[in-house]
Amino acid sequence: MDAAVWWLRGALVSYAAGSLLAFVPWRRGGAPPSRPIAPWCAGLGALLHSVALLQTGWTLGRCPLGTLPEVLSVLAWAFTLAALWVWWRSRLDVVLAIEQPLAFFVLLLSQVLPRESFLAGAAPSPAFVRFHLTVILFGVAALSITFAASILYLAVDRALKAKRPIAAFRRLPSLEACDLLAYRSLAVAFALLTLGILSGAVINDAMTGAPWTWRREETLAILAWILLGAIVLARLGWGWRGRRASILMVLGFGLILLRMLGF
Amino acid sequence: MAILLYGLNHQSAPIALRERLVIADAELPATLLKLASAAGIEEAFLLSTCNRTEILVSGEPGCASSLAPFLVQVGGGIGREELERHAYLHVDGAAVRHLFRVTSSLDSMVVGEPQILGQVKTAYVLGRSTGTIRSVLEGLLQRAFAVAKQVRSSTGIGRAPVSIAHAAATRAREIFGDLGGHAVVVVGAGKMARLAAQHVTAGGVGSLTVVNRSWQGADELARELHGTSVAWERLFDVLEGADVVIVSTAAPHHVIDLEEAQRLARARRGRPIFLLDIAVPRNVDPRVNALENVYLYDLDDLRAVAEAGREERRREAEQAEAIVEQEAELYLDWARGLQASPTIVELRARLHDLGEAEMARFRGRLGPLSEEQSRVLEEFRIALLNKILHHPTLALKRAGSRPEGGGAIALLREAFGLDAEEPGDEGKGSGRGA
Repeated sequence: MDAAVWWLRGALVSYAAGSLLAFVPWRRGGAPPSRPIAPWCAGLGALLHSVALLQTGWTLGRCPLGTLPEVLSVLAWAFTLAALWVWWRSRLDVVLAIEQPLAFFVLLLSQVLPRESFLAGAAPSPAFVRFHLTVILFGVAALSITFAASILYLAVDRALKAKRPIAAFRRLPSLEACDLLAYRSLAVAFALLTLGILSGAVINDAMTGAPWTWRREETLAILAWILLGAIVLARLGWGWRGRRASILMVLGFGLILLRMLGF
Repeated sequence: MAILLYGLNHQSAPIALRERLVIADAELPATLLKLASAAGIEEAFLLSTCNRTEILVSGEPGCASSLAPFLVQVGGGIGREELERHAYLHVDGAAVRHLFRVTSSLDSMVVGEPQILGQVKTAYVLGRSTGTIRSVLEGLLQRAFAVAKQVRSSTGIGRAPVSIAHAAATRAREIFGDLGGHAVVVVGAGKMARLAAQHVTAGGVGSLTVVNRSWQGADELARELHGTSVAWERLFDVLEGADVVIVSTAAPHHVIDLEEAQRLARARRGRPIFLLDIAVPRNVDPRVNALENVYLYDLDDLRAVAEAGREERRREAEQAEAIVEQEAELYLDWARGLQASPTIVELRARLHDLGEAEMARFRGRLGPLSEEQSRVLEEFRIALLNKILHHPTLALKRAGSRPEGGGAIALLREAFGLDAEEPGDEGKGSGRGA
């Protein structure tokens, strides 16, 4: 069996362990662990995943972004890197509790989908396609942080409204920290996704003669982009935020994820 | 040598007695030196706070009898009988456990409060500077500080709020994190408003504004809390920019009704606002909590949060007690080990001295020896003595780790003549016999 498969399985196990261990401190009473294990599991997973991606690229003799499973595998890797970056900057390991299951399921899905190339037509150049896919993937990874922060915002909002005791907040960041993380990551995600959609239109034009073909997945992506753009504009223009903004950000990520999974 | 802890605290004695035993800061050094000079006391430490007066000493076990008279003297007109009715005496293991519990804030009136550790450290610094704390109490107190740190870092004993004002401040931080850049508005200038504002602003806030119907009251409170005061008519202008609003007026009706709150929420465009209604009757319409991004807490809500905090601290205290127990055992094991160490060192020195002396005596009879032969003989001597010493050393270590091991150590000392007046004479005797 290809050695890359073993590395990927190692990454899967690490992501699964990270997913479980990220939840453990939530269930515990008392103080949070001074050295949480989940980030280390995520780090190990990312390392094994990087080796698998490098080995796949080496074996195939090209960038491993040619099939949907390959794209999803890189997406899972990007989710983990984004979560680790947030953890590194803010020590918010609770973000891993949302990001790691996401990375696990996307990577698992990448292993069961058929390995057919989606680049059937004539693309302008492989490098341009790689650029398009890379900005999209990192845009979605940044958006996954927006998603995680929005989920946390809604959880804190709910707990505050329900007047739950302090223990419920032990592992959660403040409402404002969630809002700030969501907004910052959304700004990055929106910029990258805009670049991705524009480069996608160029690729579409080269392959089909039209920048926009109104296929279902394209429409889904543009809908999500409009939604996210509206949230960014409302925040920039009117300072709009809060619970509804969080719900819309979750919805935006849901639409983008559906598009990525090929729906 | 024994470690003794004598004193009284908020659980054992009424305030009428405790207040008479509080020692003024200026008098502490002289009082401590006086304590340390009492018969049988080698080292002394004195802790005097509003909730406890405790003496920790190391010295002869008999020095316990001088502790009560000392406190009677400190307390002026306190009768010895009255003191002894409320005081406690802990010896060795119990004293260590009690000290660890005190520094870990398990023995405090509000379990988990952080002030006691600072008070113990201040008393320790005084003991060091007056020279009444040396090796034994130094080691014990350093261990107590380490245990307190461990308890605080590995349990949540000091985290949950236990008072209404603390609960309000904690909840505000759960919404905004650091309040440094946030605006706090106090509506009303009464006692409750002042107390809540003091807690909420304790860690620093961006700005503080007091709004009150009476300009004078607003101005006074604003000056006290380093804020500004604003006329009552401008209340809703101020609220638009506020993040935390403490409402506590004497008004018998809602000062902030649902309509006003809706207008406020719209104007804030989703920015969260925390309304603390600590007035009775309530000053904010309770339906306001249903509005998006508006979080309204009244006295009952805060009381429930504080009660949950107390319950949490109780749970955490159980875990902390286990840590204290474990650490006390470790310390006592270590201290008992120290008890055997001097005997082990003395025993080894004694047998090696004997060996060397006998070797020197018998070497002459062997005639001239080569360097190699001398080396072999020396190695033989050391190997033999080490083999002989192996089991007594283990026995001493075992005895040292047991609370009742003192008898075994004494027996070994006697068996090897370690406490004899002139050990050299006995050595000679045994050499002849060999």
